[in-house]
Amino acid sequence: MAESALFVLVEKILETLTSNMVSIPLIDPLIKMLMKIPAVNVIVAFVLWKPIFHVLILPGLLGLTLVLLFMIYFERKITARVQWRVGPKEVSRRTGGVIQALADGMRYLFQEVIVHRDAHGFYFLQFPLISFLPVLLPLLFIPAGSVWGIRSVYAIPIALALISLIPVFIIGMGWASNNKFAFIGSVREAFMYFAYEIPLLIAFLAMILLYQTADPFEIVERQSIPGILLNPLAFLAIFISILIATSRLPFDIPEADQEVAFGPYVEYSGIVFGLVMSLPYEKLYLLSLLSVILFFGGWKGPEIPLLGDLAPVLWIFIKAVIFMCVVALARSIYARYRLDQTLKMSWSVLITLSFASLLLSAGWLAWLGL
Amino acid sequence: MDEMVEFLHQGMLSLIKRWGTKWSIWPTHLVTACCGVELAHAFASGYDGERLGVLNFGMARQTNCIVVEGAITRKMARILKITYEQMPDPKFVIVMGVCGIKGGLFWNGYHMVKPYEVVPVKYFAPGCPPTPESLLRCFRALQDEITTGVGKNTISFQSSKPSGEVKKRKRPKRVPPSPKYIAKNPSVIVDVERVEKWEDGEEIRREIEEILGDLAESVKITGKNRISVRIGVENFFDAGLRLKESGFDHVKSVNIVDVPHEGKFIVEYVVSSYLNERYVSLLLTLISEIDRVDAHFPSMIEVWQSADYLERELHDLFGVWFDGNPGMGRNFLIAPDTPKNPLRKDFKIPQDVYVGGV
Repeated sequence: MAESALFVLVEKILETLTSNMVSIPLIDPLIKMLMKIPAVNVIVAFVLWKPIFHVLILPGLLGLTLVLLFMIYFERKITARVQWRVGPKEVSRRTGGVIQALADGMRYLFQEVIVHRDAHGFYFLQFPLISFLPVLLPLLFIPAGSVWGIRSVYAIPIALALISLIPVFIIGMGWASNNKFAFIGSVREAFMYFAYEIPLLIAFLAMILLYQTADPFEIVERQSIPGILLNPLAFLAIFISILIATSRLPFDIPEADQEVAFGPYVEYSGIVFGLVMSLPYEKLYLLSLLSVILFFGGWKGPEIPLLGDLAPVLWIFIKAVIFMCVVALARSIYARYRLDQTLKMSWSVLITLSFASLLLSAGWLAWLGL
Repeated sequence: MDEMVEFLHQGMLSLIKRWGTKWSIWPTHLVTACCGVELAHAFASGYDGERLGVLNFGMARQTNCIVVEGAITRKMARILKITYEQMPDPKFVIVMGVCGIKGGLFWNGYHMVKPYEVVPVKYFAPGCPPTPESLLRCFRALQDEITTGVGKNTISFQSSKPSGEVKKRKRPKRVPPSPKYIAKNPSVIVDVERVEKWEDGEEIRREIEEILGDLAESVKITGKNRISVRIGVENFFDAGLRLKESGFDHVKSVNIVDVPHEGKFIVEYVVSSYLNERYVSLLLTLISEIDRVDAHFPSMIEVWQSADYLERELHDLFGVWFDGNPGMGRNFLIAPDTPKNPLRKDFKIPQDVYVGGV
C-alpha cells in the first residue's frame, strides 16, 4: 500500500514536471531515451522543468558562473590589449588564455581562509554567503522568453528592490572586517549607494512609464523599435548608474585597490575573497539583463527552430554579455574619479538626466495621446 | 620539497591544486630599492608578465607570492615578516637583486638583514638591478617547481680552459693588505689653513673674529667661502647666540669625527645665513672637541631649531648626549634592535666581520 502510494506520488510529480518542460528539438531524442529510465527521468524532468532550468542553468546559476569566468578574463584581456600587452595567454595558448579566471578560482579554492583575530568571525564568514540571496532571487523575476521563474506584473520593481539590497551586505562585510581600510571602503560604499540609487530608480521609472507596464513580457512585446531609440536619456542615466553601482573603473571608489586596498574586502582571503569579489560582477549581470529587457528588445531575435525554447534564452544571454563587455571596456580607458567628484556628478548631472528622461517619456505619452 | 610545494602535491585533487596555483601566481611587491623599477618594467607592455598568469598585486591577503625588491634593513625585515605572515598558504618568496642575497652594495652594513634569514626564499634573481627577463625566469622556475616538485637552478655556467698557446705563468699578484682598522697615530686636523684659496676673505674673517671676540680660540680660512672657528665647549652656546644675532640663522649640518686614539670627538656645526646678504655664500664651521668617554655637548636647538634632527641622528650613530635636546635617550632613525653607536670607529659588526682583518 505504502509502495503504491509512493509510486503514485512520483507519477504525480513527474506529470507536473513534464507538463512544463523546456523543449529543445536538438536534444529531443536523448531526452526521450533518458525519460524511459526510472529514477533518472525524475532528475531530467526536474532539471528541464522551466523554473528550475531558469534558475539553475540559463540565465541562472550556470550562466552566471560562465559570465563571471568570461568577464574577468575579458576585462583583463581588453585592458592588456589597450595597454599594448598580450594579457593572460600561456594557461591555454590555443584559445588565448580564456580559462585564466578558472585557474585563479582554483587557486583561491585551495588557499587558506584567514579569519583574523579582530574580525567578528560569525558575520565575517556569514555575509559573503548570505549576499548570494539578493543575487539569486532577482533572477527568478527576470524572464527569458517562455522560460521564467516567477511571473509577476511587478517583476522589474521587485528585481530592482532585491538588487539594491547588495550594498547592505557589502557594508556589513566592511563592518565585520574591523579594519580601517574596510571601514573607509564601507563608508564610501554607503555614500555611493545613495548617489546612484535614486537616478537609477528614476530612469527605470521613466521606462516603465513609457511602456505603461512593469511586466517584462508586456515590455518586450511592445518594443517594435528598441527602447534605446525611444528614450536615449534614460539609457545614458542607467548606463552611468550601472557603472557606479557595480564599481566599474571610473567609479571604483569603494574598492580602489591603490587607495584603500579593496576597501570592504581587504581582509578576505582564499575562496571567500573569490565569492565577495564576484559580487559586483553578479550585480552587473543582473542589471545588464534588466537593461537588455528595457532597451534592446529583451529575448527577441531570429527564430532558431532547432533550439526551440532555448533560443530566446540564448538571445537575452548573448545580448547581456555584449552589454557587459561594453561596460568592461570602461575599465581600461578611464581614470578613477574622486569620491567628492562622483557625488557631485550624481547628485547634480545624473539626477537631472534621469528627471529629463522622465519628462521625455511623459512627452512621448502626451504626443501619442496614450 | 618544502611544505608549501608538498601541500600542492598531496591528496586526490592535487592535479587541480597544482594547475590552479601554477597559472595564478599573484606577487605582491615589497619595494625597498631600485629593483621596483625593473619589476614595473616586467609587467609593462614590453615583457608583460601577465602572459604567464602572473598578476602584479598590491595587497598581501589575496596573494600567494611576495617579491622582495632590494636591500632589507632591520626595520624592513620586521615588515617583511609581517607581510609574509599575512598571506594565506601556500605562499612563495622571490628575492630580486643582489642586495637581497648578501647585501650587495650595502654588504657588511650594520643595518643589513639577509631576507633568507627572515622568510623561506624560493628563488633569487641576481643582478643590480636584475633584468625583467631574469625576474620572469624566476616565475617560470617557480611554475616548474610547482608541477614537478623539484627546484632547480635555471642557469649554470660552463667552465673551460683556454686552448692554444700557453702563456708563461706569472706570479700571481698579491692583493695589498687592507688598511688597518685603527691607524697608529693619524693626525686628524679638520681646520687646515688655506688662505691662498680665498684671498679676499680676510675682511670677512676679521668680521667673524669681531663678532665672537674672546670666545673664539682661532678663526681660519679653509677654502673659498669657508671659515672654521674653534670654540671651547663651555663657550659654544654663547658663541651660537652671538652668531645668530649677527645673521647666521640656520645650521646646514652637524658632524662628528671620531678620534679614538686621542679619546675625543670633534663636533662640527656648519652654520650659514639666508637673510644677511653678506654671509649668504659663506659656510662657517664651528669646531669643538669633547671627551669620548663622557660625551656630553650643549644642544643648540634653542639657538638654531634646524639642529634638532641632526643632533638626534648623531645621538643614534655616535651616542653623544646633546644636553637640552628632548630626543636624547631614544632611537630616532635606527631600528630598536640595531646595535648602539654603529658609526664609532671601535664598533664591531656582530657577524661577517673581515674588513681590515684583526
